[in-house]
Amino acid sequence: MGLRIRLSRQTLAVLDALLLHPGQWQHGYSLSQRTGIPSGTLYPILMRLEKLHWLETRWEEVKTPGRPPRHLYRLSGTAREWAREELRAAQERHFWKPAGSEA
Amino acid sequence: MNAPAKMQSPPARCARWILDCALRHWPEDTRPWGLALAAEIDETANAFETVRWSLGGLMFFGRSVLSSALAWLKLPAGASLSGSPSGGPLDSSTFPKRSRFFTAAVLLAAALLLILPQGREALRTVRGTWQNDVQSESDARKLEELATRAEKDKDADMLAFAALSARDSTRGAALTERAIALDPKLIWVYGARNHSQKNDPPREDRLAQLQLADPGNAVPDLLMADALVQPQISILIEHGMNDREYRLSLESNAKWMALMERAYAEPRYDSYFQRHYHLTKTVWNREKDLPATIVLYGVAQHAFPDLLHIRMYCDMKIDAARKAREAGNFTTAKDLLAGVDAFGVRMADSGGADFEQLIGLVVSRSANKEAENLAKVSANPEDARTAAARLDQIEARFNRIRRSANPERAVRSEVFRKEGLLVQSFGILCVLAAIGTLAGILLLELWPARLQGAKSLSRRFACILADWAPPTLLVACAGFLLSFLPFHRAIEEYRSSNYLRADELALLDAWWGLMRVTESLYLGADATVRFWYFVTVALSAVLLAVVFRAIVRTKRSATNPA
Repeated sequence: MGLRIRLSRQTLAVLDALLLHPGQWQHGYSLSQRTGIPSGTLYPILMRLEKLHWLETRWEEVKTPGRPPRHLYRLSGTAREWAREELRAAQERHFWKPAGSEA
Repeated sequence: MNAPAKMQSPPARCARWILDCALRHWPEDTRPWGLALAAEIDETANAFETVRWSLGGLMFFGRSVLSSALAWLKLPAGASLSGSPSGGPLDSSTFPKRSRFFTAAVLLAAALLLILPQGREALRTVRGTWQNDVQSESDARKLEELATRAEKDKDADMLAFAALSARDSTRGAALTERAIALDPKLIWVYGARNHSQKNDPPREDRLAQLQLADPGNAVPDLLMADALVQPQISILIEHGMNDREYRLSLESNAKWMALMERAYAEPRYDSYFQRHYHLTKTVWNREKDLPATIVLYGVAQHAFPDLLHIRMYCDMKIDAARKAREAGNFTTAKDLLAGVDAFGVRMADSGGADFEQLIGLVVSRSANKEAENLAKVSANPEDARTAAARLDQIEARFNRIRRSANPERAVRSEVFRKEGLLVQSFGILCVLAAIGTLAGILLLELWPARLQGAKSLSRRFACILADWAPPTLLVACAGFLLSFLPFHRAIEEYRSSNYLRADELALLDAWWGLMRVTESLYLGADATVRFWYFVTVALSAVLLAVVFRAIVRTKRSATNPA
């Protein structure tokens, strides 16, 4: 296991959303829509994950002139495994449930 | 996505504008994340979502600013979040060792100590001693507030107090009139208020009223006599008059001589100082928060009859007695001396200020010394014994009043003097440490690039100042407050006492204990002039050093052009 950190429910939800399509780049707004986490909480989480090298980021090429480039995120290769482990452990502790299982 | 239409709604436009504003002030270290958040705003589904996204962005902005501020506080003065002032990596040897947070906490603690009621009192009092008898601006404002309130409430005592303590003599005159109009018993204020010869000379009509209202008292006569000759004396003093010319000018003034004769013959010497003190005590008891500096300034401003004039008239009378003795008119000489002695006794027994009593005793002593000579010449052993006994009594009174001859008071004065030295030392250290703190921090924070010359002497000096001046300031403030405690107790005891003369003396001893140090440090009446004199000298020295350095450099570059 890599760098272990204390993860909040919101961070686990973000990791879960990022693991949905592990290799695929995702936008901040779509992550917010998927997890229901507001932008003011989501971006500090993304920033922390990036600092820990769990998250890979890049700027999208400008498609529409006049509009700013969008930022893209995905979990790094090693972080995917750690994230799954963390989610499993959190579920075992009954600390967190995946969004779909609540229904 | 229908972004353009959606963005037209006023709330969405407003949300976008707010986010743009935040982006302009976003901290550098997290700015890309702010841009990332802002870039998503066009993707929001509706105006509500746009506003929600924008509000989240503002929250993120707030957190970023806070964390940046905390990170900035953890760095030493002069360091920026991006590394050294030039943006390079931080070299810890060229920065202070303590963080900004430490410095801020230490300065806050020092400020809190001085904001405490005891701290404020210590500051006001010690500042008062530095200004000697010049009333501070804050004291003058406080006094004016009291005067305005007293005018509104028709409070005669408070008006009289404000009149006697007012720095502006014209205002003092107006307040005096108002107080006496409300309570005619306060007419003595005419004889107690200090006047300015230039703007507010003593008014003879007011002193005449006082003479009528207080018959038999020598003080109004003496004040009237002073008022009469003051303009003439001021001109003569300006022209460098000596003591002999002074005396001759007084002797040639028949009105003055008549008034002095009358004063010496009056049955009472009722000092207004006692009434002034009583009024001050009454007011201070009502206004517990009144600073000691205001109270003591008011008392120190009391207008006494000119003691030099009293002494000179005494000498004139004794000279007259001597002439009478030499002419063989022993009875005339004896009567003249008895009159002078009686006046001295009345003055010494008046219960006025110490120096009024002392001058009374000096007058009596002069009269009795001459009486002793007269008794010897007239071969009257009985009179000689009486005069000798009187001289012994006078000497005993002198010793009781004189501080040095009163062991208990002498010890107390000495203790206050030493404690005063401690207070003043800590006070000066506080000022120096505050200047050092300001200089160190400002040099590092405002001119980081200027001082960047890595290990230059000025940079090292600024770092030492930024590291050590704030803790020194805190220690100095604590020491200042602790050393002021005996003076605080003296003030408190005076306020809570039943105002015996002993309490007054204790307070005065405490005050003089503080004052004596500043006098010996030459921070007296012209403290402001001296301060600017030192500043000018210091700046001139800096200028000379800069010019000298420039000349040396120019010469060096001329001899070594490479």
